Amino acid sequence: MSSRTIVAPALLAALVALSAPARAHHVGSYVPRDNAVTTNFKQVKFSVQAQKFDVALKLFDEGPLRAEMRAHAAALPADLEEGTRAALAAGDGREVERRLMVFFAALSRDLALEADRQLARPGVSADAQIATGRKFLEAIWRYYNLVDFAVATRDNKASVAMRLAFDEADGYVKPAAGGAAPANPENLRKPLQRIAQVLSSLIESSAPPSSSTPPRRNS
Amino acid sequence: MSDAGAPTWRLPPRWVLLVAVLSIVAAEVGGGAMARFKVELTRWARDGMLARPGVHGLVGVRDVDERILDEALVKFDAGLRLFHMHAEGMGLVIIATSMVAATVIQRAAARRAIIALLTVGGAGYPVGYLAWSALIPAYGLERSKAIAEWLVWVPFGTATIVALWGLVGCVAWTMLARRRA
Repeated sequence: MSSRTIVAPALLAALVALSAPARAHHVGSYVPRDNAVTTNFKQVKFSVQAQKFDVALKLFDEGPLRAEMRAHAAALPADLEEGTRAALAAGDGREVERRLMVFFAALSRDLALEADRQLARPGVSADAQIATGRKFLEAIWRYYNLVDFAVATRDNKASVAMRLAFDEADGYVKPAAGGAAPANPENLRKPLQRIAQVLSSLIESSAPPSSSTPPRRNS
Repeated sequence: MSDAGAPTWRLPPRWVLLVAVLSIVAAEVGGGAMARFKVELTRWARDGMLARPGVHGLVGVRDVDERILDEALVKFDAGLRLFHMHAEGMGLVIIATSMVAATVIQRAAARRAIIALLTVGGAGYPVGYLAWSALIPAYGLERSKAIAEWLVWVPFGTATIVALWGLVGCVAWTMLARRRA
């Protein structure tokens, strides 16, 4: 056995070991940012919390939140936008919060319905459907998370039902561990449908003006 | 204490210095272009991504797609920034390490091999970031990363790492040889 036959594999092994760090290069990280609507929502919300209703009204009038309400008017309870503006003008913080809660619940519900519709499409691979479901869930949570506290203080059954449905859906889109088979996208549709149902009920029960009634607690 | 026994610093070959300086120049030009054409670059990348919705997993719903596009654009920008930083830094690394190699390594063949690996690896590695950014609109985040990885980062990064370990070994060997003498 010549020294070359020993040295060559040893050099190759050393090369492979040395090349491992070359793969571990830095490629930056991404932290999801607020979009224009959620940013404007936070501005309005914090202004209302600080009792600066004139500032909140100006931010609402000039911001993308109101434009988005107008764009989605057909899918929203009647006069949601005008009512929000009137509540801001009247300095009614609770009513503003309730109406914004309804708006974001409606956005989340529409996303859940659209996700369900897309997952029902035939001819798409299970992996692609799972990836689509994951993206929709992220978007749903980004909106719902903004108003979860407001939902919980008014209808905590809805809040719990929403969280349970979301957790179930989230479990189906997580990467399969240990080479397990990917989740069946059909399973994902059920919690998405439940999210849409819960939020639809919440929107309906919250639709009539209730600024004079005390918040409802279910437990 | 006397400097009589200390070696005189030797310059690496001119082509090595040229490559190193060119790398730094490319970094500066890239950094300047990034700032000057930020809007155009972002628009180009965004248009490229919108033209290939399947590649990026766009679902046709703005509330979902805007986050996907935002992440891809952030990574596109990060790739350009990382090219700028690495090309700048690796230019200096090439100059410093090849100077050490030229000074310390006595055997001509080993010296030439290590200097060549340091130069080629150091100058090539940052180009991977540029390639990654350029490929994102057409191939998506993960696929473009894999392409840049296997075509640029792994071969050129390995060349640099192997050369640096070789240089470490040579410096250590020189120290031991001096001690024995």
